[in-house]
Amino acid sequence: MSINTLDDVEFGENLPAFQPDTSLANVKRFAVAAGWNTPRFTDHEAARREGLPGALVPGIMSQGFLSAMIHRWAPSAEVRLVDTIFRAPCVVDETYHINGVVTDIDEEAGEVEIDLTVTNDAQETRVFGTAKVLIQGTD
Amino acid sequence: MSDETGPIDVEALRDKFLNVVFDEYELTLDAEKLADYATACGETAAKFTDPQDPDFQAPPTIGSSFQPKVRYPEGFPTFRGLGMDAGKAVAPDKPMRPGVPITVRTHMHDIYTKTGRSGRMVFFVNRMEFSNSGEILGTADTSVVIREKPQT
Amino acid sequence: MILDLHAHSIKSDDGRAKVQNYCQWIKTRNIAIDGFVLTEHRQFDDESDYSQLAQKHGLTILKGAEVETEYGHVLVFGVTQALQEAFDFSDIHLPLAKVLAACETHNAVAVPCHPGRKRVGMAAHLDEFGIPAGVRIVEVFNGGSRGDEDAVAHALAEEQSYMGIGGSDAHIVSHIGRCATEFPQQINNETELVAALQEGNFHALKLNQEA
Repeated sequence: MSINTLDDVEFGENLPAFQPDTSLANVKRFAVAAGWNTPRFTDHEAARREGLPGALVPGIMSQGFLSAMIHRWAPSAEVRLVDTIFRAPCVVDETYHINGVVTDIDEEAGEVEIDLTVTNDAQETRVFGTAKVLIQGTD
Repeated sequence: MSDETGPIDVEALRDKFLNVVFDEYELTLDAEKLADYATACGETAAKFTDPQDPDFQAPPTIGSSFQPKVRYPEGFPTFRGLGMDAGKAVAPDKPMRPGVPITVRTHMHDIYTKTGRSGRMVFFVNRMEFSNSGEILGTADTSVVIREKPQT
Repeated sequence: MILDLHAHSIKSDDGRAKVQNYCQWIKTRNIAIDGFVLTEHRQFDDESDYSQLAQKHGLTILKGAEVETEYGHVLVFGVTQALQEAFDFSDIHLPLAKVLAACETHNAVAVPCHPGRKRVGMAAHLDEFGIPAGVRIVEVFNGGSRGDEDAVAHALAEEQSYMGIGGSDAHIVSHIGRCATEFPQQINNETELVAALQEGNFHALKLNQEA
């Protein structure tokens, strides 16, 4: 269900999870657009030579995935904060899940707080954080 | 950054460097790149993905991608070890749009330590503030952790 | 009674959860725990009083701490003023022996947490420092574990005959109650928790939660 007003939001509801495109081509497209076009993000072999498990999905791209999930859920939501902590790397070409759940609703301020996680297929949390979004009331 | 031997006094660094702007520059966002950024992240709304949309704007997390031209204030000591991003918090206030000059100012917002297996982990939080003609557009905090190798 | 023995609130530098939202979450999502212990990083939260919140939601909310030693991170239950004076909770280089001795003296319990984790878990330091004397309990289920971290913790516990607890290590609201510890008796305060841990009649749980 798409959220249009604050009245539509329920504490504890899940945002529609999605699997982001973490292919090398898409991460490269992102890295070029962001000005972060370095081998650490776009070249598995070069990243391994740095001691990494492979090319990494930039943390800022994970933030972008999480923000996109919020807009898919509530198209008119105004994102006011995305606060993420990177617990473990996300590796390019591996499968991840972008998840969110409503954990606070401030009806007076029109603000909704959302728990954010990026998990892998083993349900391990790679990135976690919170978002604050403004959603208009019914009036 | 300057090189030091001996343990670095983090309290002294706080006194000297916190809240002092050490980097400032201006940038202008490119519409096509913004659309690519948003599309790669999975945004589907036209206001983020279509430069022709009348409300076209940067995705709200764009500020996290800006980087200071200088990473540390002048005279800041070198911590020996591998630096990694520990977290990012981006707080947009107003939409950023292509073609509009944006001033980016960076200051060190916090410095603190945690334990590691073979030495300290030193966390730095740099805060970037974005503005246009004095109007604040948002901030982005970047936390960097350095797993400090024992000083010899 | 089931308690999540390892949770962080916004009082911790990397915690993003407000305690009232933990309570609301547990009740709304029917999380199968009766309460939780706030174990803030490198500090004991003296100032917060969660008794009214606990009463409102019918939950037990207790306070402990997570301190840092040469063997990694350690949960401390039964924190008193005297214990806080015995060692500096904010010190990131505490000797584990000092923490264990102080806990023994002041009727508290120290539990190395996520012992299977690289760098901040006890198992990673055994080659260098050996098996520490005085550890009786370790955290064998941690909600933030990745890969084989819990398996390493279980293996360590079995090898050394440690008892095991579970805790979510929640830093955000929706992670509370992923792991917990079941006790046969009701626990109402920190003193009773210490007694129950010292008694040794408990077991660690990993709780499946509906997505």
